[in-house]
Amino acid sequence: MQLVVENLAKLYDKTRGLAPTSFTVDKGELIAIVGHNGAGKSTLLKMLGSWIVPDDGTVTIGGIELRNRKSVVGKVGFIPEVPNLFDFFSVEYNLKLFARLSRAPMSRVEDILHEFNLQSFRRSKVLSLSKGLKQRVNIGRALLADPPILLLDEPTSGLDFEMTREIYRLLQAMHSVGKTIIFSSHRPEEIKGLATRIMVLHQSQLVFDGPPQEYFKSEIHQKLYAL
Amino acid sequence: MIRNVLILTVNDLAIAFKNKTFLLILFIPLFVFVTLNLVDQAVVDAGKIRIGLLQQETLATEVMQNISAAEQLVEVTWLENPEEGNRLLKERQIDGVIIRNEEAADSLALIVLKMDSIQTIAIMQTFSALQKVAEGAGPDWITGINSLHEGGVQRETLPTWVLMLVLLIGFIILPSQVAEEKEKKLLLALLQTPINEAQWLIAKLLLGMLLIMTAVLFLHLLGQFGPVHLFDYVAILLAGSFCFSAFGVFLGFLCRNQASARTLGVIFYLPLLLPSAMSDVSQQLTAIAPLLPSYQLYRPLQSILLENASLTDMTFDWIYLIVLGSLMSYFSYLLMKRRWLM
Repeated sequence: MQLVVENLAKLYDKTRGLAPTSFTVDKGELIAIVGHNGAGKSTLLKMLGSWIVPDDGTVTIGGIELRNRKSVVGKVGFIPEVPNLFDFFSVEYNLKLFARLSRAPMSRVEDILHEFNLQSFRRSKVLSLSKGLKQRVNIGRALLADPPILLLDEPTSGLDFEMTREIYRLLQAMHSVGKTIIFSSHRPEEIKGLATRIMVLHQSQLVFDGPPQEYFKSEIHQKLYAL
Repeated sequence: MIRNVLILTVNDLAIAFKNKTFLLILFIPLFVFVTLNLVDQAVVDAGKIRIGLLQQETLATEVMQNISAAEQLVEVTWLENPEEGNRLLKERQIDGVIIRNEEAADSLALIVLKMDSIQTIAIMQTFSALQKVAEGAGPDWITGINSLHEGGVQRETLPTWVLMLVLLIGFIILPSQVAEEKEKKLLLALLQTPINEAQWLIAKLLLGMLLIMTAVLFLHLLGQFGPVHLFDYVAILLAGSFCFSAFGVFLGFLCRNQASARTLGVIFYLPLLLPSAMSDVSQQLTAIAPLLPSYQLYRPLQSILLENASLTDMTFDWIYLIVLGSLMSYFSYLLMKRRWLM
């Protein structure tokens, strides 16, 4: 399912937000959006996830405009940086609630619990989980409706090395079953061997869009991330 | 240690400022001051009582002469029949109706809206003073008082308690819950499923209405207050709970977090509760109260619970509540579509 972004823009002020940006994402790509804090990564992903309304521009998914919510719902799963779950309820309750609302079969809940190694936490309140576990539940929840496109806003933010590796392993697993994945990171070295394409945002502008090997040799990488 | 405490206190003040708690600190004293001023003013006004007399009924000459002579104290409205008197009493256009007391010769009876009100006390005091001036000693002219409102003090205050429950859930509980769902991005998570904005909104309104109906039912079970017109009572409560739930959800949408929602809720809750609840003790508040949306619920509740009225007598009130609730729901819907402060 192709995702086409045309002149998408959202500016909070002159340098914050996202200046008009266009690009196309083909089915099965694993794209890392890289940039410093405030570069516009989250703004871009939130617009693609219908979390914020753009000032201008269009997004089409499989030829259908994103604004046509009824037709595209379930095609995009957005996972925010901070897990947004019903804290006072258990992992299982959260997954079952969203499975019901997404009209996914209840067997999906069991699949997700199994796939994400969450069986032993099924009755634990989300409140009591570590950030890494919460993030796993959050990703699992987004997958309940089996969306072909997944958007992840800094999925490893605040996680330790082990948990970061675990999240990237999950991303690779999802990519291997054909999902299109776009995620953001402000640590490009981390995603060196992971992404199939890198997009760099700097001060609200898209300044690079190409394969990882090209990016790591580019002046932009040297300029932005030189030690 | 003192330095740390001071730093923390300043930080707490900054948080209170950010959460708009300071607005409450300023608003509540201001509100109380204005309300008390209105009530005090009303006590001065209460010096002049407004009574109704039946045209076809002849009262003792001495009584009539004294009433005429006391025009600074007594304002008389001539009534064609007792029904007109009841209507004017309910509309608060007169404070009482004086008629001949059929049970005691040469004495008067007073019909009032509420037995325990400043209007009743004022009429009794005025007539007692007139009698003392005219006759010196002797029994009071008014020997009987009838109230249009049925039941005792418990029942008299019931409309105020019901209004309090409706407003408490509408303006304190619901805005906080909506703001929490926004703050924790739960609403956005829900909107990623096939549910749409309208469905979420309807669910929130149903929650508000359900909470209100449960609280009112519990109050009735505890107090064993049975309304005479159950259908009318439930219908006006549903209209009121819909209206104020919609209002509360809208307030929740105006706030970024729970603390702000609570502050804004209290700012709406107090002015909507007090003038309606206190309108019977102040003529000025009586004049202001109908301008508030809560009055369109309070008046019908009072009429149904205390005056045995039915819903057909209050068409304007329930249409007003439904229209206002629909308008608020529409505004919330627009804010949701814009992902306002989400």
